[in-house]
Amino acid sequence: MERLKRDFSTISLVMIPVAIAINIAIGQLVYTLKLPLYLDSIGTIFVGAVAGPWVGALTGLLSNLIWGLSGLNPAYTAYAPVGMIVGLLAGIFSQLGWFKVWWRAIIAGVITGLVAALISAPIYTYVSGGVTGSGTDVITAVFRNAGFGILPSAFAQGVSSDPLDKAISFFVVWLVVRGLPLRFLDRFSRAEDLR
Amino acid sequence: MSSTPFSLYIPRDSGMHRLHPLTKLALVGFALILGLFLPGDWLTYLAFVLVILPLAAWAGILPRFLPAVLKTALPIVVSLFLVQGLFWPGGTPIFHLGPLSLKQEGVTFAIRSAGRFIMVISSFLLLTFTTRPDGLMLALSRHGVPNSIAYVMLATLQIVPRFQAKANTILDAQRSRGLETEGNLFIRLRALFPLIQPLLLGSIVDIEERAIALEVRAFGRAGPKTSLLMLHDTPAQRVVRWLLLLASLAIIGWRVYLGLAA
Repeated sequence: MERLKRDFSTISLVMIPVAIAINIAIGQLVYTLKLPLYLDSIGTIFVGAVAGPWVGALTGLLSNLIWGLSGLNPAYTAYAPVGMIVGLLAGIFSQLGWFKVWWRAIIAGVITGLVAALISAPIYTYVSGGVTGSGTDVITAVFRNAGFGILPSAFAQGVSSDPLDKAISFFVVWLVVRGLPLRFLDRFSRAEDLR
Repeated sequence: MSSTPFSLYIPRDSGMHRLHPLTKLALVGFALILGLFLPGDWLTYLAFVLVILPLAAWAGILPRFLPAVLKTALPIVVSLFLVQGLFWPGGTPIFHLGPLSLKQEGVTFAIRSAGRFIMVISSFLLLTFTTRPDGLMLALSRHGVPNSIAYVMLATLQIVPRFQAKANTILDAQRSRGLETEGNLFIRLRALFPLIQPLLLGSIVDIEERAIALEVRAFGRAGPKTSLLMLHDTPAQRVVRWLLLLASLAIIGWRVYLGLAA
């Protein structure tokens, strides 16, 4: 309980809106550059790394809720559980010290991406019939054509993009953590896990 | 701070707009339950016509609501018919397109999924278009949602437009220094880091000052807080909210009784 109170300090709560804004701004930058990635959870992963799994999970949850309720991407709200898990896992990997070494951060990203694909597949299947409306739907079509069910095909689509996407995101967060002054990082509850 | 909040709220003087935010939330929640749990292929479309459209018309937002629904739904609906309609394994062909054919089962599935998706997104859009975010957060914090969560939601809506502007400034600045942002995938991927890094480091370091500013204004203090915004609730609306909750449970019960495959 004491730990949780320290995690949800004023600086963590102030960090959450900034993290969500980072998610959205970078997500749109990537879209402008027409890259086949999302990178829309870098802020969430950063919060998980510096403030632990619970604050990370809250950031991921609110990020999807706000992105959805802003009206720009209404379907995002349905994927709130995915955002939550990404923040939670980022926090857990940070506790394990995986943000200290760059290649461990990348492996943590790949694992998080696989879990994200596993959780988003049933949501895609139920809410939008197994498609995402983006280019990666080609993969779903290939798997459907080969006789796979809707859920496995949606999962295959997720696996084709999520692990790479999250690996890059985790690597960027590792870079950012390196680039921030220690005096600043020490304001966060989980700073000792990052050194 | 004169930046426009990150929300598509349309101010109107309609009965729908004047409803208590929780009543609107209950209406939208009910529409969402209809979308997710109505059985069969066509009932969701009926719900869209009989529930969503009248509410949007009552709010006086139809001319902006319908294009928004269409814009969000179109990529998914097109993709649904292409992917599930054309590549349904072992389905009954009903229409031939060169080497491909549209399958009966795939089209049925696409119709059902599209209806559900349209209900889900139109419910959320209805809430966004008719509800002031600060009013909604005030109502929620009066009913047990922690103040800090309300702060986080509202602060986000204010910060996002500034971040979008900042991202564009960085994009322009790096381009004017000669950073290539167009070309093949590798060139564009390489442009990513010089764009992300200044955005991240600059904004993260800013937050320390923001935290101090909030702390000296008793942000962390326990106890009730006052608000400038007034919310109007009526006994009738309270009754309607309970009825909507019961109706939602009834829909879920009906669906469970029919079985999830219905």
